[in-house]
Amino acid sequence: MLATLGQSGFLDNVLQPGHLFPDFMLPSAEGRLLSLGEFLARGPVIVSFFRGEWCPFCKLMLAALTEALPQISAAGATLLGLTPETGGLALSMKTYHGAPFEILSDVDCGVGLAAGVVFRIPPLYRASLGDKFAARQGNEGWYLPIPATFILTPDGRVAWRFANIDFSRMPEPADIIQAVMSMRRVM
Amino acid sequence: MELSQVRYFIALCKTLNFTRAAESCNVTQPAFTRAIQKLEAEFGGPLLFRERNLTQLTELGRTIRPHLEAMLDAADTATAMAAAQTTRSPASLKIGLAPGIGAACIAGAVREVSKKLPDVTIHFEESSPAILVEAMLTDMLDCALLPEFCAIPERLNRWPLYTDHAVAVLPANHTLTEKNTITAQDVLDEPILVSDYCGGFARRLAETTRLGFQLQRCNGAVAQLLDLVTAGLGMALMSDRLRYAAPLTTRPFREPELPRQILLTAVAGRPLNIAAASFVKLCRASAFS
Repeated sequence: MLATLGQSGFLDNVLQPGHLFPDFMLPSAEGRLLSLGEFLARGPVIVSFFRGEWCPFCKLMLAALTEALPQISAAGATLLGLTPETGGLALSMKTYHGAPFEILSDVDCGVGLAAGVVFRIPPLYRASLGDKFAARQGNEGWYLPIPATFILTPDGRVAWRFANIDFSRMPEPADIIQAVMSMRRVM
Repeated sequence: MELSQVRYFIALCKTLNFTRAAESCNVTQPAFTRAIQKLEAEFGGPLLFRERNLTQLTELGRTIRPHLEAMLDAADTATAMAAAQTTRSPASLKIGLAPGIGAACIAGAVREVSKKLPDVTIHFEESSPAILVEAMLTDMLDCALLPEFCAIPERLNRWPLYTDHAVAVLPANHTLTEKNTITAQDVLDEPILVSDYCGGFARRLAETTRLGFQLQRCNGAVAQLLDLVTAGLGMALMSDRLRYAAPLTTRPFREPELPRQILLTAVAGRPLNIAAASFVKLCRASAFS
């Protein structure tokens, strides 16, 4: 699967530094409608895509970001987590990890598509995701985002990104913090 | 996969003509063709048969079309929802409720939509599932909450929201209020008032147990039926998700339990207006336990 994505030039489609990240509004874990623009008005925003509560690598990343949040906030940035999971699973994820940042449901992977991070899971790998996968996402499309992270400037442009088709690779929180700090120095 | 590639593919699905689809997307045909080829490379096979006068979807193309259409719609809706906050254009949200399904559970989602889109007009329609389905198909309703036990055509998307259970609705001084839970045996000698708007719990109780209950038909609105319960004419079996004002009181109905899954439904492949799309997304994202 990783080889196929690599050969198809998947990463070329992912939004790159300088690109405008389209504004969006999504339901939050607590049932509110939140827009990217509201957060950008306060400063840089970190948008991080998580595959779901079932993904052990995402759990590790979520825990690491929760730990790093005080430094992220001190650097003036807001962290937003996006997951394609529905049916209250964003809230479960947030509660389980005690994540003190907004986790939004990217229902049907719309924002993931706009960011170029969505891929279709080949039929061969679907069984390994369990029979509840479709119910968790509320559709039978079998799409997932790669675990990508974007840092956006207040005007909504991508200043830094991490995108890797290997889902076991996640960005280091220290790198994210450093990128936000250096961005603020430039601003 | 890139947004424009998906947009081009959906345009091509609609026209089945490369030239017209490229024109409708405002892109040159070579760029359009390259985007489709890239998408095919990612999906690992041709999405279209390119025959001289006949372009048609392959099986792979047909399989992925509805999901890509939904994803493209989700992307456009997420952007449009963010933009709609500032434009303040009028919008409407028309929700159907099948009999015995209240609006209390979805009130939070409606409130949130209304907060973001203050000019939205909210419209509820309570009717039989068949009428609500017809109203959605003819674009008179955006979506509807339907019970699992009704005929829902394939053309409708459905998402489970929650499961409700029956409660016995009783006047405050009824002897059954001394019990914590009510069973079928408890109500064998009690008149049960039944209307089309009670949610079908009494009918299911009779079908499940095959016991002879005193079902008393009471046509009219739920409010009138509850007035009769208050007056001591009988009891009612209704959803535990509805709110009942004093002096009425409720007890959970057990043995048999009469669970009923409530589904949010909307026409598949038909884009919703911003208010309705926001409402559906909120409901799908939330837990209703």
